[in-house]
Amino acid sequence: MIKYVVRRTIQAIPVLFLITVFTFLLMHVGGNPAQRFAQNAKVTQAQIAAFEHRWGLDDPLPLQYCKWLGVCGDKPIVVNALPPALGGGDNGIVHGDFGYSTFDGRLVTDVIAQRMLPTLILTVTAYLIWVTIAILAGVYAAVKRYSLFDSGLTIFNYVGYSLPTFWLGLMLITFLSVPPLRWFPASGMNDPYTTPAFGTNSYWVFFGQNPFFAIFDLGRHLVLPVLTLVTVSIAGDSRFVRSSMLDSLNQDYVKTARAKGVPERRVILRHALRNALLPVITNVGLEIPFLFSGAIVTETIFAWPGMGRQFIESVGHTDYPVLMGILLIAAVSIVFANLLADVLYAVVDPRVKYD
Amino acid sequence: MDNRIPDVSPTTSDAPADFEVALVSLNQWQLAWRRFRRHKLAMFGSGLFLTFVAIAVFGPFILPYDATNVPYPLKFCPGTTISANLGCPPLNGGHLLGTVGGTQEDLLTLVVNGSRLSLAIGIGAAAFASVLGAIVGGISGYFGGWVDTILMRIVDVLLSMPLLFVIIVFAKVFGYGDWRVILLVFALLGWPAIARLVRSLFLTLRTEVFVDAARAVGVSDMRIIFRHILPNAMSPIIVVTTLSVAGFIVTEAFVSYIGYGVNAAYSPTWGNILSNAQNDILVGNWWWPLFPGLAIVLTVLGINFMGDGLRDALDPRSRE
Amino acid sequence: MTTMSPSDGADPGTAAPDRPLLDVRGLRTYFHVMDGTVKAVDGVDFSIPPGGTVGLVGESGCGKSVTAHSIMRLIDIPPGEIAGGEIWFDGRDLLKLSDSEMRHVRGGEIAMVFQEPMTSLNPVFTIGDQISEAILLHNDVDKKEAAERAIESLKAVGVSAPERRVRQYPHELSGGMRQRAMIAMALSCNPKLVIADEPTTALDVTIQAQILELIKALQARTGTALLLITHDLAVVAETVQTIAVMYAGRIVEAGTVDQVLLAPQHPYTQGLLNSIPGVKKRGRALSVIKGVVPNPFRLPPGCKFQPRCPYAWEACTASEPDLLPASNGATSRCYLHSPEGASRREAFEKSVAVTMESVDG
Repeated sequence: MIKYVVRRTIQAIPVLFLITVFTFLLMHVGGNPAQRFAQNAKVTQAQIAAFEHRWGLDDPLPLQYCKWLGVCGDKPIVVNALPPALGGGDNGIVHGDFGYSTFDGRLVTDVIAQRMLPTLILTVTAYLIWVTIAILAGVYAAVKRYSLFDSGLTIFNYVGYSLPTFWLGLMLITFLSVPPLRWFPASGMNDPYTTPAFGTNSYWVFFGQNPFFAIFDLGRHLVLPVLTLVTVSIAGDSRFVRSSMLDSLNQDYVKTARAKGVPERRVILRHALRNALLPVITNVGLEIPFLFSGAIVTETIFAWPGMGRQFIESVGHTDYPVLMGILLIAAVSIVFANLLADVLYAVVDPRVKYD
Repeated sequence: MDNRIPDVSPTTSDAPADFEVALVSLNQWQLAWRRFRRHKLAMFGSGLFLTFVAIAVFGPFILPYDATNVPYPLKFCPGTTISANLGCPPLNGGHLLGTVGGTQEDLLTLVVNGSRLSLAIGIGAAAFASVLGAIVGGISGYFGGWVDTILMRIVDVLLSMPLLFVIIVFAKVFGYGDWRVILLVFALLGWPAIARLVRSLFLTLRTEVFVDAARAVGVSDMRIIFRHILPNAMSPIIVVTTLSVAGFIVTEAFVSYIGYGVNAAYSPTWGNILSNAQNDILVGNWWWPLFPGLAIVLTVLGINFMGDGLRDALDPRSRE
Repeated sequence: MTTMSPSDGADPGTAAPDRPLLDVRGLRTYFHVMDGTVKAVDGVDFSIPPGGTVGLVGESGCGKSVTAHSIMRLIDIPPGEIAGGEIWFDGRDLLKLSDSEMRHVRGGEIAMVFQEPMTSLNPVFTIGDQISEAILLHNDVDKKEAAERAIESLKAVGVSAPERRVRQYPHELSGGMRQRAMIAMALSCNPKLVIADEPTTALDVTIQAQILELIKALQARTGTALLLITHDLAVVAETVQTIAVMYAGRIVEAGTVDQVLLAPQHPYTQGLLNSIPGVKKRGRALSVIKGVVPNPFRLPPGCKFQPRCPYAWEACTASEPDLLPASNGATSRCYLHSPEGASRREAFEKSVAVTMESVDG
């Protein structure tokens, strides 16, 4: 079993390597960021050249890539990739150095870290809610097939699945945030008039002093974005759960269980559900990358200060280091989520041979 | 007495003919069409989708307001004392869906005109991505070996990237708001998903006996791929392509909404119509986001119904 | 008692020693589907004495599996419906039991073995778990005791190294062993009746023989009654004492193995025996029963076999015959055994004699 995990992890390495290459190339297809200064008449060529030199933009591309990765640097090539304690350098991805934002000069890791928590608050909340509801609803609909609930869920699924997230968000704002009904705020994570900006030191001080108010405020701001994310996802996932459960209920072993005299409730919950959940686990596992990169649309609509919104802002500023950092994190999370889903599946399904 | 095995065939039976005899033989496509027709939701969905296609093709010709010629803006909404600065609500002064924005453009005109590019990009990107994906997946699945390994690594990498992020970057860098480039970008980033599907189809089909038979007769590999295996793999490919149209329409809408898609100044799409709407929404303009979005939702709904119907019709082993 | 009789009329309340264990009377099971109503079982009567063995034979679609599922009340209620009849088992009408009472019967008093052991066993639980589950449901024992009994039951069906097998999953066993496990599961609670629905159809021929031997031996040893359902006449010949032949939802012939297989009394049975290829028929064209099984939505009037029957005459179309007694003691749903059919019956019996000559063994 351990061998299987190790083997799959090793298989993932070439993909990860290629992802870094791809991400790097992607960011440099649009030319280098210094160009945005070129249009400004007040900026001289010398200043641009100095800028380029400072940011290492005048190195040949492979070298830039190598430095960004951390394999090249002050120390000789490849040696540089080792930890500083072992004589390596301290630049590059392998050392956790993602460079500096070309927009405001901060460490990319700081920029991302600041935005990671808001994203996770939003996505983890939504994820937990929708997975729970989707499984409950899907199983119930499958067990009570043709009932009113089942038909209702099917309709909800079709409609919900067809709603673009960004439109749903806009609609919720339109009808719930705006007069006459001002139930929920239209944007942001916290009320700018009564609380400091989220994540700043003053916010945490404030939080310590008024925990209930801060949580309540946060909760109020969470409702609409979470509702947006949850609706569409429940529509998709519950349909999947339902069909998986229906498949399972139609299997012969369910008939055998009934023939043995097993009570119906146990037939459903123990015999059928256990099998039905196997593909669901994979599905749900594969949605984990969403936790990092999936809320880009919702964050944009609700001006939620998360990583997705940061990405959009950085695109506007052509801030490549930040873009590369976010992209890398998102891609790596996808690779690891795939790995996790595979491993989880192997754990719960005894039929999977891992040799 | 005769030693023949008794023949139990009915010789003088005047029994009613209750044996099922099919007098018309149908090929698989005709059979599928029959099944599709019986699927009410699918027919409804197709109707919905085709309505929007019709709107896209013919709509601009029958609109009362010319898209390029916005009438002189009003000061007040007709019959009221509300300022017309932020557009007027629907059903006033001849504007069925109302007017929007400082320039008070007719929303109906915008939506109808927007349908052209939105649908064109959606359908075009889906078709293009499918063709590319089918070619790559077919070659990969059929030949196997290092060709397969290399191609699938590329697919893996592309599928590991968060697609929307990548699309936005490409669209901004190369797009210049040109819808054809946007379409290309979508297709170039969307083919991996199809490729993976086609590859797995080919992997199974390749082991079928009819492939060996074709090879034994001397059919070339390329021909086997395209004329022998591909027709058998068509059904899931068609279903996936259809459903992906919906995805591309929505993606285009968002990308244009945030400003990196089709340039609103040149031509409207359902997405870029909404580009500047957010401020107005906050002060009560509900029709601006509602109608273009409704167009998207209904189109996507239609496509989803249609896709489901296709899936049931084309796959004889469909359950439920 | 090994003769078959359509519901011998024994009063269920009485404690008569030769009261049948299972007495199916006039069973009717219908399915309501989009295109109409399928009368899968339309008036079936048969009985099984305690410890007796009965084979239910027929082609696919004749209703034999549905009969078995109806006895166990495993029919999906919409779209299915048990439209009529009584199923007397050990003094009670199963069709009148409540759900929880029926659950006690299932597995504990009547057990079922299915055709496809791979899909009939739950892939995510071990063999031991699944057998123990049955034991725990019907016996007042603890888990440890149930586990031990599970191992015992595997041993009884000839599975080697049962202690190891008990911890394995279904996919780790071969087809034959899986079927043995299914049988072990069925017998683990000492039921009074075992229903085996095509138990060997999905297995290789050599394994088939082993499993049949096993079933026979177990049945003899434990005295459990057996209802064996199959389309294969050879299977039935080896294993049961009485046979009922089904066609289009009805029993068309019933009698002992010797009666039915050596002296068939119904043209359909004769047709089945005819169509078995054999050494003696070398070089000759294979015989088939002309025509096809009737469309369930458009059943022929009168006797359901009549369109394909070489001996049919007007009476056959006019009304459906009852199960009439034949001269050898069996019963047959055919007017050949009525007074009017006497003349044609001679021709029939002559051709049966020819059939019997060419049948192997």
